[in-house]
Amino acid sequence: MAKLKVATGLLQGCFGCHMALLDLHEDLLPMLVALDIVRSPINDVKEVPEVDLGILDGAVCNTENEALAKEFRKKSKKILALGTCATLGGINGLRNLYDLDTVLKRSYVKNESTVEGMIPKSPVIPRLLPHVKALHQVIEVDYALPGCPPTPAMIATALMDIISGREMKIASKNLCHECTRTHEQMYIPRREFVTDSVTSIMELDEINEEKCFLEQGVLCMGPATREGCEARCVKGNTPCRGCMGPGPDALEDVVGVGYRYSLPVSIYPHREEK
Amino acid sequence: MNIGLFLSEGDGEISKTVDVKSLAALYGEVMPVSVFDNLQSAASHRTIFREVEDRKLDAVVLAGESPLFYKKTRNGERLLSLLNTAGINPNRLAIANIREQVSLPHRSAPAEATKKAKVLIDVAIEKVLLSKPVDLIEVSPRRAVTVIGTTAAGLFAAQRLLERNFQVDFLDREEIRALNGFRNQIQPTLAAIKNHPKATFHASKITDFYGYAGNYRINLENGKKLRAGGIIVAIGDDLKLTEELYPFLRLERNEKGLFKTLSAETAVTETVQQGIFLIPETPTISAASSLADSAAMSLDSLLSQNAIRHELFVSEVDESVCGGCGTCIKTCMFHAAEIDPVRKLASTNIKRCVGCGNCVSACPTGARDQISGSTAYYLSAIRILATYKPPSGPRLLYVICEGCGYPSLDFAGNNGIEYPTGVMPLSVRCAGRLDTQFILEAFKQGFSGVVICKCKDDHCLNIVGNTDLDRRANLFRAVLSSRGISPDRLRIFGVSDCDGASCVTSAVDFMKYLQNMGRA
Repeated sequence: MAKLKVATGLLQGCFGCHMALLDLHEDLLPMLVALDIVRSPINDVKEVPEVDLGILDGAVCNTENEALAKEFRKKSKKILALGTCATLGGINGLRNLYDLDTVLKRSYVKNESTVEGMIPKSPVIPRLLPHVKALHQVIEVDYALPGCPPTPAMIATALMDIISGREMKIASKNLCHECTRTHEQMYIPRREFVTDSVTSIMELDEINEEKCFLEQGVLCMGPATREGCEARCVKGNTPCRGCMGPGPDALEDVVGVGYRYSLPVSIYPHREEK
Repeated sequence: MNIGLFLSEGDGEISKTVDVKSLAALYGEVMPVSVFDNLQSAASHRTIFREVEDRKLDAVVLAGESPLFYKKTRNGERLLSLLNTAGINPNRLAIANIREQVSLPHRSAPAEATKKAKVLIDVAIEKVLLSKPVDLIEVSPRRAVTVIGTTAAGLFAAQRLLERNFQVDFLDREEIRALNGFRNQIQPTLAAIKNHPKATFHASKITDFYGYAGNYRINLENGKKLRAGGIIVAIGDDLKLTEELYPFLRLERNEKGLFKTLSAETAVTETVQQGIFLIPETPTISAASSLADSAAMSLDSLLSQNAIRHELFVSEVDESVCGGCGTCIKTCMFHAAEIDPVRKLASTNIKRCVGCGNCVSACPTGARDQISGSTAYYLSAIRILATYKPPSGPRLLYVICEGCGYPSLDFAGNNGIEYPTGVMPLSVRCAGRLDTQFILEAFKQGFSGVVICKCKDDHCLNIVGNTDLDRRANLFRAVLSSRGISPDRLRIFGVSDCDGASCVTSAVDFMKYLQNMGRA
């Protein structure tokens, strides 16, 4: 069997998804029988060769990201958007709450560590796009795998699905389904709880490690977030922040505010400019 | 799906404004269409029935009078039950209200009215196309009645029911209420009821109430559990008791806050709940006695049927998506949402679900949906309504809840109040069903504003639907503001007594405001 030729690329991201891929450790080895990674930021190949599968990690924030994404699309038979930035825009997308000018000034001019700063204008530096976009808003995407980052196991399953030509399956239920905390109050039909105020986790004197966060009055995004991440955060005694994005049947993300990771793919993906 | 369209000329009232013939010709190219003088006469009903049988129709769209006509009049009810007999599932029947919502309020714009009528018919067709058939169950009625309120009227009704061999449970705070000087007139009745083997009195309060017409379950504070085929409410002008009963019985209320019947003319004791009859407060003993007879008679004929059919317009769960978070349990006022903690899967208790759809709006995964109005239908309806472009002025998505919004808009039409054709009505089961997503979709489709006309204060038949909407809308407004978008294009009106036209005048003011906003 011919090996599947794979190229990976980094757009605007933290490299975490590539790290998650490497976190497969020795489990990566059997996969290398079926796939050949011919280009990646790790092996430092600049050109994008013709490949069967292009894997892109990160959101599209600047002209360089845009050019690389388009180059990948041209050279790859299939494209996998890897991780939340690529599929939903991710944390980068929060920039859309400000207009570009404000962002640039805050970074380069009105910055606590800058004296007489200026916005770089060199023509060789990629320009920031007015708004951050998810990959599918720039090029056609064949497979999408959310997660910040996706677990190594999710990546392995997805790659095995792609290698064997199966439909790539990702979990469809919400995080509560795989959450191991105990639910008691949430199952009691009493409405008072619905309108109770929400506290921040920092305000709690003690965080119960066994009990549902919502039952402790802490906002946990689990009910509105797709499962599949192995509930890493809640196992670490931290409420879910929604990095997996909404499930498949959830209505289009209501202005993206519920999910801090998906503003660029919401109906109104940025702030109205004056 | 084989859909038949039946158009009504409303005895000339509709055809005066809407070109019914041209609509018939237009739809006639794609589906069987018939035009009638009206949809009320027995002759029309026979023809419709024959058409359904002959053409093997499995869905019917009626375009003409308001659905309230079918709900509140005996002629209308007869047509619905005929269609039911002909095998049309209740979800495969949709009504386009081109009389109250089009021809009456747009008399001076016939060409636009015809265009708008077409859009409303398209929405009705979409509704039958996107609705799953609803499950029906049959309940064998119990020959037992609970009479709430030991007023003179309640006692009269009970006497009649005891004569017809019903088990009668009385429920009130005290054994016999002060009878406003009617003690003499009521003496014979009291004598008949006292020590009657089938009459029992309970001085207690309701703590739980559920079930259907034919089989209600009533749990009392004193631990007793009653079962009844029907309920008679005869509490006079006791506002305190009305407040207490309201979350359980879910009856419409008038401007004084007291329960009210379906209509003051033709359905004097019937209420929005099929098995609950109301004897409204009356000043004279003779009126009380005849209303009591009416209620007892109506209840007797309901409970003498072999089986009462119920449509399970409930909330359903997509098991592939539900993760068992419990949000629906926390939202449901009626304790109808349940969860299997082992499988982590929500379900609906069909005996308790009233189908309001509040849990559907609340469900964070989109696992819940409403059988009578799916999310797919509402989104599609908004897109279809957006295809109508008024010749001038802004276009409003005018969302009306079935409780108060819908009758109010009908009232405006019936009272000759004209308003611009750009007001596009969308009927929802309850304001609580209105997902903020629908509002966003409306803006996306180019509506200049969204109006939600819902029940005011404590008039919501689903108890919390209207206030839950407010809660969601306030969060939604905060989100819009955070994006630099003024939330002014969304307005919510509460209608107090379910039949005022104030919501229309408010909407017209809003249109003017939007127009000025556009200019600025």
